[in-house]
Amino acid sequence: MRLCLLVIGTLLLVGCSFSAVTSDQFPGLANVDRGIENKNVERTIDITSQLVKISYKISLNHAEKQNIKSYTFLVRGSERGYLAYISAKDSSKKELKLTEDKPGTWGEHLGYTMTFSTNTPTQVVYIEAVFTKALIPHPARITQSERQLVKYHGHLYFFSPMYKTVTQKTTVHLASKNVESYTQVKPVILSENTVTYGPYENVPSTSDEEMIIHYENNSPFLTVTRLERTIEISHWGNIAVEETIDIVHSGAELKGSFSRYDFQKDPRGAQSAVKSYKTILPASASGVYYRDTNGNISTSNMKTLKDSVELDLRPRFPLFGGWRTHYTLGYNVPSYEYLFRRGDDFLLKMRVVDHIYDDVIIDEAVVKIILPERCSNIKLITPYSVTRLPDSLHYTYLDTIGRPVISFTKKNLVENHIHDFNLKYNFSTISMLYEPALVIGFLFVIFVAVIFMMRLDFSLTKEREVHHHKD
Amino acid sequence: MLKMESYERYVSPVNPAVFPHLATVLLAIGTFFTAWFFVLEVSRPKTNGKEAIVKELAISFFAAIFLGVGILFLCLSVGIYV
Repeated sequence: MRLCLLVIGTLLLVGCSFSAVTSDQFPGLANVDRGIENKNVERTIDITSQLVKISYKISLNHAEKQNIKSYTFLVRGSERGYLAYISAKDSSKKELKLTEDKPGTWGEHLGYTMTFSTNTPTQVVYIEAVFTKALIPHPARITQSERQLVKYHGHLYFFSPMYKTVTQKTTVHLASKNVESYTQVKPVILSENTVTYGPYENVPSTSDEEMIIHYENNSPFLTVTRLERTIEISHWGNIAVEETIDIVHSGAELKGSFSRYDFQKDPRGAQSAVKSYKTILPASASGVYYRDTNGNISTSNMKTLKDSVELDLRPRFPLFGGWRTHYTLGYNVPSYEYLFRRGDDFLLKMRVVDHIYDDVIIDEAVVKIILPERCSNIKLITPYSVTRLPDSLHYTYLDTIGRPVISFTKKNLVENHIHDFNLKYNFSTISMLYEPALVIGFLFVIFVAVIFMMRLDFSLTKEREVHHHKD
Repeated sequence: MLKMESYERYVSPVNPAVFPHLATVLLAIGTFFTAWFFVLEVSRPKTNGKEAIVKELAISFFAAIFLGVGILFLCLSVGIYV
């Protein structure tokens, strides 16, 4: 077996360096400029939280000094399921548009192609990718006082089968300096809580060596399994936001029973447990409520800062591995912050999802926007692709025909997805008078009924005496 | 894509700060008209049903307007944003 590998390795080195990647394997190869080479790749892998944030700085160089028009970045097939967010910037830190290549272009791998606005034979690309659920708790079950150890399975070398990589270096930031084990391929340095791999030079583009780091990570492993965000617009000057949240501690599960006594005695003992976390609301938020099915949860603190409102939320119980909780968080914001008008055209500009806690993972988010009654020409523009759900109607106080509800859903969201959506609609301000008219009409009908009833005669005998008095 | 410059921030036609005051004043006036209406109803002689109806309708109409708008602002001031 080893001999066989050696022979293949030698063949690879002796033959053309690209011989291992063929067009039948990657149909997309025909469309890329093979003259481009990754002169230097600097990878920074941040695994200090529950997320895996990888930032790449790729210096490109064209071997034949031609202009680099576009570049394709590949995400390994084994990692594409974890990928939540990816973005690219050029050397002037300007956002580059990434287009996802058709499935199958790169086999099981996922390709992102970016086009440069400047034509030079050298380019620098900054790519940021966020992966969720890529850190595996190991051991998977721990007792109350044990530390939480997680394993990161990554790759030692930059993956780029179509371009040659000259030098590369990887820096891994860990959550603590307690490292159980890590892949050691020289040169490698472990200092405090960073591991530095490389620089490696002229690694064959097909090498697929794993990088495994087993380390202590007690940062909160919380996953929002479902977020339902309802935005209700009132043209009387208010926007009501309500978030219904299901949270689960997705770290190492709690083994054995929970001892309240041990927990109270030494709160620092239960390091992997989540006791409280911070939610940041917009600065203009007012009338904040934090409740669940039992009613108000009193263990919360609100701090009004200059540019935000900070909520310190403490669930009813500390969250241990595998434990879940459910709550509702709501607040009001004035309409002038997010609603704009031009005649009868209105534009709502709000965040798709807002901050829940730092380094959040949202498995599924459902956003519902409740518009006022009698609005038309509704058009939704989202910052990234979402799944639009069928429109529905919502009935609340003083509604007759129902308020249109625009809803959409998106899976696997992280903090980088906090962006504004735009919702345009037409609404005539006269329609606001329907609501008072409804109350006025109702009251008037009661008065008329009283007038009518006072004219009915319920007496059994005719009152003749009245007439006598008159006569 | 979107020309934001042509849009202006949307504010409520009625300043939300005056919702509670409006509710109080309008409901007080409405209650006055309602009281007047009922006093008129119970004190009206049985015979002049035809002559009094215009006055009754007029008073009840004003009572309905003031009470109706007052109730709306009461809802708005307590946080039921209709």
